[in-house]
Parts: sequence; structure tokens; C-alpha cells
Amino acid sequence: MADTDFQRQALQHLNALYNFAVYLTRNPPEADDLVQETYLRAFRFSHRFEPGTHLRAWLFQILRNTFLTFYRLRERETAIAEDGVPDWDVPMFHDTSTDEGRALEAHTDLERAMRRLPEEFRTVLLLAEVEGLPLEEVARVMACPVGTVKSRIFRAKERLRGMLKDYETK
Amino acid sequence: MSNEVSGSDDAALGRRLNSELPRYTAPAHLRASVVQATDRPARRPGWLVPLIAASATAMALVLFMLPYLPRIEPTDPIQQVVRAVVNEHSRVLMWDARQPKIIPGDLPWLSQETGIDLRRAFVGDDRLTLVSAEPVYLTRQRGLAVHYRDVDGHLVTYIMLPAERTFTMNERDRVAIAGRWRPMLKRDAGFVTWVWKQGDVACFLVSDMVSQDDLERFKDYFVRVRVATEPTIAY
Repeated sequence: MADTDFQRQALQHLNALYNFAVYLTRNPPEADDLVQETYLRAFRFSHRFEPGTHLRAWLFQILRNTFLTFYRLRERETAIAEDGVPDWDVPMFHDTSTDEGRALEAHTDLERAMRRLPEEFRTVLLLAEVEGLPLEEVARVMACPVGTVKSRIFRAKERLRGMLKDYETK
Repeated sequence: MSNEVSGSDDAALGRRLNSELPRYTAPAHLRASVVQATDRPARRPGWLVPLIAASATAMALVLFMLPYLPRIEPTDPIQQVVRAVVNEHSRVLMWDARQPKIIPGDLPWLSQETGIDLRRAFVGDDRLTLVSAEPVYLTRQRGLAVHYRDVDGHLVTYIMLPAERTFTMNERDRVAIAGRWRPMLKRDAGFVTWVWKQGDVACFLVSDMVSQDDLERFKDYFVRVRVATEPTIAY
């Protein structure tokens, strides 16, 4: 069990983690579960956290890894579905009722465009531009070199601009 | 110029993402459930720690006392000899023969040392190669051991000891081979042993050929050895 001080510090990042989880899962109930799972893992492995390093980045890293683990599992399951069509509203963690499991609607073009980005691009933009993490921390979360993060940010923005332009012309 | 435009575009898009992208706030129930999860006490029953400590102490004591604890010896006299024979076979498996001799060349010496005379001896064939022969001392008796190795690398040990009066073959363990012989099949410590009596000599053929397929071959080895060897008590 993690110590109280660590728990208190970790809970300060709940909103940021939830926001990140919503953009990853596009589904609030799934985001709930993802955040809960993230905290459980963080408290269980709190002894692995190096004091003095960025706690928020560490939590984002756990959340993303957890998401990718279940996301890949779901992808494998849908890949062997009979119709072969991936159903992105399938809940990742448990059986959610149809109403609960409804995907979140996008309200703005920017949000809609963000959701269409591949996960790697979405994540770098969320971490670097929205959460304001330094590029080194983003690289740590994504387990890649800083150069790769820079290139992904550049390409993500390029795609985002293209999509926004399309929405405007329509 | 275009780079500058692109750079300023990037910065503008970054600012737009930061200011315009909707932020989702964690619902109250999520905060409550996370806090609840962190406050949950460890589910370790109070009696678990003393139990583990007691078990560990008992285990340490048993390990410490192990050499002094009485050993359970088999009550069946044949099983006792089989255990000694298997131990000898295991010793040779690990460290080879102590006094390796060759038969028939060293037969006179072996006969003198062991009290077992071999009128005829199996000296190997296409399946079994003679490794060595040597005197042994098992269950307070002198005897003769002959070691063979088969083409698959299994060590096969043939041990001959004077048959005591208590050496009686029970019907339960007997196996019919080639419609002619009925040796006993004994298993001990992961090894199998054919046990039979030839005149006044108790004979044992040991190997690790315990699987069903191996056992069929081991029957064949018994026949080869049994047919070609004739041990007797020398004096």
C-alpha cells in the first residue's frame, strides 16, 4: 500500500489523467475504469517511483501503458470477429450497458479532428500542448527519443491543420 | 519565410489546442472510488504472519534434524537389496566404476575377489557394449557388478550376489518374458530392476529405462544377459 503523502500527491493529477483518458478512450465510463486501474497500479508499484522525478509524467505513462495493453487486447479480439469490422464502442474493461457505453460526441471541429488522429499523434499533442509536459517527459511517457516526439508533434499538427481545413470547406 | 509561417502556425495551433480543446473533469464518483481504493486496508488476516513464522521455524528445524531422523527402510528383504543395487548403479552413473576390470580377461581375479564365478558371461553385442566389471559389497555381501552401455547411452548394471535364504520371489511382481522367464520387476528411486534367481545366485539388472517403450527394450536386454550369462557360487 502506498504511503499517504504519495497518494495525496498522486490524487492531485486526477483531472489531468481523466482528461487524457477521455481523449484516449473516447468513452467516459471507459475513461473512469482506465483512471481507476491507473491509480491502482500506481499505488501498487509506488516503490518504483523515483522521488524527485515528474510524478505526473509517471502517472501518464502508467495510464497510457494500461490503455495500450487493453486496447491491443481489444484489437486482437475484434480482429478475429466474424464480420471483421472493428467496433470501437466495445468496452475495454467490462461489459457496459449500451447507454453507458455510448461514445462521447465531439462538440468542436478541433475536438473532432483530434479524435481522428492516430493514438501516437493524439498523445503527443495532449501531453505536450494541452498538459504542457516538457518534451523529455513526453518522450519518457511514450518510450521514444525526444527527436521522435518532435517529429510526431510536427506531423500531428500538419494532419490536424489538414483536417481543420477540410471541415471549414465543408 | 515559409518555415517562419509554419513555425508561427505551429505555435498558434498549440495555443489553440491548449485553450479551445474541451477539458474533461473527473466526476465526483471517480474521485470517491479512487480515494476509497487507496484507503482500503490490507487484506492480511491477523493469524497469517504467526503461521508463516511458525511454518518457517518448523521447516528449518526439520532440515537441521534431517540427518538424525530415523529412516524408513523397506520391510521387504528383496526391496532392501534392490535399493542397495540401485544405489550402486547410481554411484557408477555419477563416478564410474572404482576398480574397472575387463571380462573375460580378469575373470579369475574377479571370481576370487567376489566369490561369484562366471562360467559364461555376456560381453556385449550390437545393442549393449561392455563397459567394465568390478567387485561390489552390498547388504553385507560380496558380489560382482558388470556394467553395460546401450546404443542410446543408458547405463545398464548387472549385479550378482549370493542368494540368501530369505530371498524369495513373490508372484505379484513377476513379469513373463519371451514365454520362458518370469523375473520380478522392481521400481525404486526412478530406476527399474529385473530381479531373478539363477541357482544360488541372486541377479539384478538395473537401468533408468522406466518408460513403457524403454521397458520393452529393457526386457530384450534381460533376455540377452540372461541367455549368455551363467553365474555360480565359486566357493
